[in-house]
Amino acid sequence: MTGRGLLPVAAAVAVLAVIPFLGISGSLLNLMIFMMIIALAAQGWNVLGGYGGLSSFGHAAFFGVGAYAMAILQARYGLNAWLALVIGIALGALFGAFIGFLSFRSGLKGSYFALVTLAFAEVARILANSANFTGGAAGTILNLQSGVAFLQFADRRVFLLVVLAFVAIGLLATWWLEHSRFGAYLVALRENDQAAQALGVDVFTVKLKAIALSAALTAASGCLYAQDYLFVDANIAFGSWISIEALFAAIVGGAGTVLGPLIGAIVLLGLGELTKGLSGGIPGLDLLVFGVILVLCVAFSPNGLVTLLRRLGIERRGFPAKTAKEA
Amino acid sequence: MRRSSKPMSRKPISRRAVLKAGAALTTLVAAPGVLRAEPAPVKVGLLQPISGAFALDGDLAKTGAEYAVKEINDAGGIKTLGGARLELVIGDSRSNAEAGAQATEDLQGAGVSAVLGGFASGIALTATQAAARYGLPFIVDCAVADTITERGLKNTFRFNPNFSMATELALKNLVKLNDDAGKPAKTVAIVHEDGLFGSGLAKLMQEKLPPLGFEVLESIAHPTPARDMSNVVLRIRSLNPDLIVPSHYFNEFVLFARTLQQQRVRPKGIYAVFGGAASSYRFVNEFPEAAQGVMDCNHWGDPKNPITTKLRETVTAAGKFYAYNTPINYSLVHVFAQAVEKAGSADREKIIASLATNEFDSGLMPYGKTKFNDKGQNTSALPLNTQVQGKDIKVIYPANYAEAKPVFPINS
Repeated sequence: MTGRGLLPVAAAVAVLAVIPFLGISGSLLNLMIFMMIIALAAQGWNVLGGYGGLSSFGHAAFFGVGAYAMAILQARYGLNAWLALVIGIALGALFGAFIGFLSFRSGLKGSYFALVTLAFAEVARILANSANFTGGAAGTILNLQSGVAFLQFADRRVFLLVVLAFVAIGLLATWWLEHSRFGAYLVALRENDQAAQALGVDVFTVKLKAIALSAALTAASGCLYAQDYLFVDANIAFGSWISIEALFAAIVGGAGTVLGPLIGAIVLLGLGELTKGLSGGIPGLDLLVFGVILVLCVAFSPNGLVTLLRRLGIERRGFPAKTAKEA
Repeated sequence: MRRSSKPMSRKPISRRAVLKAGAALTTLVAAPGVLRAEPAPVKVGLLQPISGAFALDGDLAKTGAEYAVKEINDAGGIKTLGGARLELVIGDSRSNAEAGAQATEDLQGAGVSAVLGGFASGIALTATQAAARYGLPFIVDCAVADTITERGLKNTFRFNPNFSMATELALKNLVKLNDDAGKPAKTVAIVHEDGLFGSGLAKLMQEKLPPLGFEVLESIAHPTPARDMSNVVLRIRSLNPDLIVPSHYFNEFVLFARTLQQQRVRPKGIYAVFGGAASSYRFVNEFPEAAQGVMDCNHWGDPKNPITTKLRETVTAAGKFYAYNTPINYSLVHVFAQAVEKAGSADREKIIASLATNEFDSGLMPYGKTKFNDKGQNTSALPLNTQVQGKDIKVIYPANYAEAKPVFPINS
């Protein structure tokens, strides 16, 4: 195992940590926080979908568990925000393991697995929408109160650093995945799970661990979302939007790569904001421009923007040798 | 203005110099319009869904706000600020909560003195708390969730009635309607979408209707979007209720009303609260038969105010269908302008203090004098009862705003 591949990871985190202190506007800071939250959700998706080849359409289920746990534990039980964060992540991982246990035991993969995850997220959305415990359709609201114990800061740059720390953990986890035996097993079963099984890989356990790790990262993103916007309802927490954002960012950036989800989230959301200025007052034109640019990105770099960077000669060692699709 | 470039002299000041200075000073005082620069405009943000699922609502709101800004500026701007003009800065919430917060940050970056709007409850909740971080006053237009003004945010005010206020009045007027007609309605079926809107209302109706003498036969939920209402209507046909209380968004409401018409289910009345289409000219225009007699209790501008007619003409001339978003946002801009006028300043803290302590004319809305309580809720706000009669939507309650008598029961 070598630490050399960590250089681009460290550089990316360092640059992102410095930007908020360069006197950027509140608007840009807000955008950066949202970008990092989506990047974290996408990193979660990437562990399972990118490395494990198990594409999920329902990562909203994990995001939602994290978001609701964070909101309910604080608002209803008065728990410390940091403790709620830890419990939220743990519950997300547990829920991931539960869905994984049911799906993998039945040998579900490919589109069947994708549909099952989608169904779980939808069921969770409907339950959260009707249960009193979650605040029903009215959702759960957190109070605006600054303080370290509340994980809310008068200076929002501090919150960005907290989110960034989680993104860094996500990057390290994926980097570890690439260099560990566990990661090798995961990639092996992505390529051919029967062959991997024949070689002695415990496919069920590996998949289960992968979905738990994936769910934990996405749940962390949900927790931070709830903490940032201080409001969660069923459509925000378990809505299909976050499942789409997560897989979109990971795929556009480069599924099965360390930096792919982060780059994907920054480019997608950054592009969305940039095109806002191009609309010239015509409503919806920015979304059209965004769509065209996105089509071009995917057309010229179908394996993710990371491969585009590699082709342009920017990358040397930081990105892994091959992405999921190239391999 | 020219500045003297002459260096300070040590000579004693001559009489002539004193006279010159006196003359100059007199000119300065006598001709303020010439020498003083035009006062800085007061920037006000309008947060509306300009794109996305609610784009139609955002567009109508924008029309109302722009009309009011033009009116105020044409009348000489904010008098206590030397005739400062209002400048409207539009923020697009893209019909979702995150973009709503982001657009609020953009408006903050643009240096607005306050933000008006919000439209949907989810957007208003995140946007008001984003504004709270900067002490930026926020007046909500038509979001109804009670919780918006129950979070102790000093910057947040709501112009329109909240859910509890509206349903209380809706029930009171329903009883009056039924009593006046000789109590023809005894049984009720509730049909609602399963979100905040519908579920909340259905729950409340199930609790409150029985003590008022109505028997709730069933409460039927459906998801949004719903593609087919046949089963719901079949169920209603078998229940045969006197009254249907629907609560859904525009498309589902239209689908439901049309299916009722197709299957010839004719209850004695359809009584909506914040009905998605019941107070929509688009619905009335496109499906006049299905819309006939539908009653609603909703945000609605004073129909007798001549400006309401002008606003409606403006919207219709642009090829759009008029709805309540236009008069609410028109009135909201006027409330804001009065708050600045009374504060005598565009300073955010002073505007918040002015909103919290003063009373305001409510523009086109039938609220009398707008007065915000300690939570920021306008205590005078109330919805109006309307009914589709012919090709028009007429106000039927309360009496001082009513244009027509209610037609109830409709299928007797």
